[in-house]
Amino acid sequence: MIEQTAKAYATRKEFYRQFGRKSRGAQMRRRFLKNKTAVIGMILFLLIVITAICAPLIADYKGVAIKQIRSERLQPPSARHWLGVDEMGRDVLARIVHGARISLVVGILAIGVSLLIGGTLGALAGFYSGWVDNVIMRAMDVFLCLPDVLLALAIVASFGTSQVNLIISIGLAFTPKMSRVVRAAVMSVRSNEYVEAARSIGARNGRIILRHVLINCIGPIIVQVTLYVANAILTVSALSFIGLGIQAPTPEWGNMLASGRDYARDAVHIVMAPGLAIFFTILSLNLLGDGLRDTLDPRLKQ
Amino acid sequence: MGGSSYPPLRAIYKSTERVDGMYKYILGRLIVLVPVILALTFVVFTIMYFTPGDPTAVILGNEYSEEASSHLKAQLGLDKPFFVQYVNYVAGLCQGNFGMSYITRAPVGQQLSARFPNTFKIVIAAMVFTVVLGIPIGVYSATKPNSVFSNITMVVGLLGVSLPIFWLGLMLILLFSVNLGWLPSSGMDHGFKSIIMPAVAVGANYMANVMRTTRSSMLEAVQQDYIRTARAKGVSRGAVIRRHALPNALMPTITVVGMNMGALLGGVVLTETVFSIPGTGRMLVETIKSRDTPSVLGCLVIMALCVAISNLIVDLIYAYIDPRIKAQYKKEVAQ
Amino acid sequence: MDTLEIKNLVVEYTSDDETVHAVNGVDMVIPSGKTLGLVGETGAGKTTTALSILNLVPEPQGRIVSGEVFLEGGNILAMGEKQLQAMRGDRVAMIFQDPMTSLNPIQTVGEQIAEGIQLHRKVDAKEALRQAIAMLEMVGIPGDRAMEYPHQFSGGMKQRVVIAIALACRPSLLIADEPTTALDVTIQAQVLKLINELREKEKMSMLMITHDLGIVAEVCDEVAIMYAGRVVEQGTLEDIFDNVRHPYTRGLFDSLPDIENRRTELKPIKGMMPDPTQLPPGCPFHPRCDYARPECGQSMPNARRLSNTHLVRCHLYNHTTEDMLGVKADA
Repeated sequence: MIEQTAKAYATRKEFYRQFGRKSRGAQMRRRFLKNKTAVIGMILFLLIVITAICAPLIADYKGVAIKQIRSERLQPPSARHWLGVDEMGRDVLARIVHGARISLVVGILAIGVSLLIGGTLGALAGFYSGWVDNVIMRAMDVFLCLPDVLLALAIVASFGTSQVNLIISIGLAFTPKMSRVVRAAVMSVRSNEYVEAARSIGARNGRIILRHVLINCIGPIIVQVTLYVANAILTVSALSFIGLGIQAPTPEWGNMLASGRDYARDAVHIVMAPGLAIFFTILSLNLLGDGLRDTLDPRLKQ
Repeated sequence: MGGSSYPPLRAIYKSTERVDGMYKYILGRLIVLVPVILALTFVVFTIMYFTPGDPTAVILGNEYSEEASSHLKAQLGLDKPFFVQYVNYVAGLCQGNFGMSYITRAPVGQQLSARFPNTFKIVIAAMVFTVVLGIPIGVYSATKPNSVFSNITMVVGLLGVSLPIFWLGLMLILLFSVNLGWLPSSGMDHGFKSIIMPAVAVGANYMANVMRTTRSSMLEAVQQDYIRTARAKGVSRGAVIRRHALPNALMPTITVVGMNMGALLGGVVLTETVFSIPGTGRMLVETIKSRDTPSVLGCLVIMALCVAISNLIVDLIYAYIDPRIKAQYKKEVAQ
Repeated sequence: MDTLEIKNLVVEYTSDDETVHAVNGVDMVIPSGKTLGLVGETGAGKTTTALSILNLVPEPQGRIVSGEVFLEGGNILAMGEKQLQAMRGDRVAMIFQDPMTSLNPIQTVGEQIAEGIQLHRKVDAKEALRQAIAMLEMVGIPGDRAMEYPHQFSGGMKQRVVIAIALACRPSLLIADEPTTALDVTIQAQVLKLINELREKEKMSMLMITHDLGIVAEVCDEVAIMYAGRVVEQGTLEDIFDNVRHPYTRGLFDSLPDIENRRTELKPIKGMMPDPTQLPPGCPFHPRCDYARPECGQSMPNARRLSNTHLVRCHLYNHTTEDMLGVKADA
């Protein structure tokens, strides 16, 4: 009898279809799509990503983005230069579009690095607790005494300011926070009954962490990762703004702001464009993160 | 029921030990702070030590020669092994000696004490601005969750947390200094006027954050069972919010206020750069660029100390408000 | 005069796209000094009914659509906010289900008991605290624990504190909303005994909400059985326990294990409570009812008086007052 039932509902989808219920994924999707802010955030972010990917199609890097035409310096937006021309005679739109690539790549990869290191440490600390937890978290506490911008600053200062170094520095700077998030998520799941159940049927620790714990705490982690990517992008441009990040002539929103600020009085478009670019990128990720949180944890939705 | 058969009030209050144990706890926490600061200086020291490049080349500049370099290294103790250098540094630190700047050849401590007050003023101003505006707006917006005002605060809050500090700073300068001419665009020479824009720039994110947190924790608090209990006692709606919901809802807010002290200090680096303010933040950037290791170390130690102390203050406020946490502390102290 | 009289109470909860019909026309009376047991499954509308008596149905989702609630003759639903506040905690008090979450974690229990006293008795803080301590002792907690916080008490002790809060102003009506559900079995009996003793001592009326018929037998004078937002059977303890009429009430008794004859099989009521957003037409119980007739799916039965004390709401008794539960439906 039971076997027959099991066979009849061999796939979960089939089970849900039979009982007229939507699968968990479908429910989540519906809830996410119902959340207006989340959808707006996602669309905005996807647009930015697509722009970054298509940057070379929009404007040639060598031919436009870093090409200086002295005669056109500080020109306001026009049909030829949609966002105007900067203080060195470079097309602002081209630089914004190419800058998106750098911001996104550095921001996302940096959080990837922190997820790899901080996530592993946090999962270990959360799962094993006891002295492992103590050692890891006390170490992280030390780093948490330094704000992430400052930590990134210090690391960048010693590594140098190449793009790879920036990724590593910012990644390391976000590691302590990330480890805390993962640890908290793991700990909240670890004590649940199904983990006990898995243990009781003799599953090994590695399997439990992967199959049961991480799967179930992925929600809060995704939410935080989204918000941290926003923070990381902000950090990249902040570092570039103070001259310790991406260096000119490579276009980056932060260094565009830094080099354009002295001309802002006469040509506002120079600081408007990169500022708004950063703002909308961060906003899109914040909207997306908030929306994901509401979707994954409907309890918190107000 | 006269209550005469019950213990007098004074005895009851005494048995609560409201303050007792707190001092011990503070002392304990301060002692714990020491290894944290030690570990932190170690990390920063290590990072700076392994920074490529010869510090003596920075110091000597054009006068650089092999002989002068090794002479200077011996003079500064840079020829000693890594650990000896570190121990020497910490030993100096314990006596309040941050070492000599490579560039200016002046004691770092002097530089810090000249610059830190500026940073401190901005941080405090930003914090006051945040708390005075963020918390009331958050609370009010939570008490009327579906009103127009509430929706506006939500949107403004979301925009606020997405604003880059340095860009906001530039925009403020363009508006209030260049166009309107109301506020000075840079420096600290105009007293309170000089602080307003840098504090607003660095505090905007922070305020939006505090407001959002207050709002959501308030919304959560008013749904708790003990709110219903209080209402069933006959307590009015306003009093329930003031006496029951707010103190409970403030816990997450206090966390955000305190834990974001770090972010605020990170932001100070930016706001000081934008507004050309001679504070620790800008000093840090300048000294990193000029590879002036002792100054960098000094700045970072001071800032880390600020973060650690603000965390401690948050913990204490927490313990004051939440008896459950106080009980934990007492246990820790007893152990 | 009756302490409480509820007439045709209707309460709804509305959310974005659906309406929960929580209470659909409840009538009940609690005579002075008596205890009425309100029995039903989770979701039957018991707690909502209780909150309506305090006019504390959670806003803005919840709304009292119609009905009247008379407390010692005065209609609560017509009172202004000031009057309501003066009434809550003073004339009607409530003991909540979960003592773990019902107390404010950051106030001492003494303060929490004293708050109501100070409000209603118009005494100063010290006197209120003194009375609060007396209340604590009355519920069996040493007075010197008044300045401790809820987390320092066990579940049973917390419920005693909640009881002290409720009784602090000697209300004429005490509502106990499943006061023992969240407690250990051993503690349950103690707490129940305490409530009952205090009630008798203070000569209060009580509305005891529970799904435990054992508790009803122990403390109640009268019983109302609630199903899907309506009272389906009401009567004295004897009416309900010895002369069951409604098929649902019968089902509730059949779901209890029989201690004397453990061989008899449990007969759970088939099916589940209907979705309160989409109640079935007619009698809401008919899809689960073994005695359902064609008219049960068409019209809502009226409440019918079987005796002076015994009321039932079931089509089986449209033409008779005899026990119909022995007769199986033929359709």
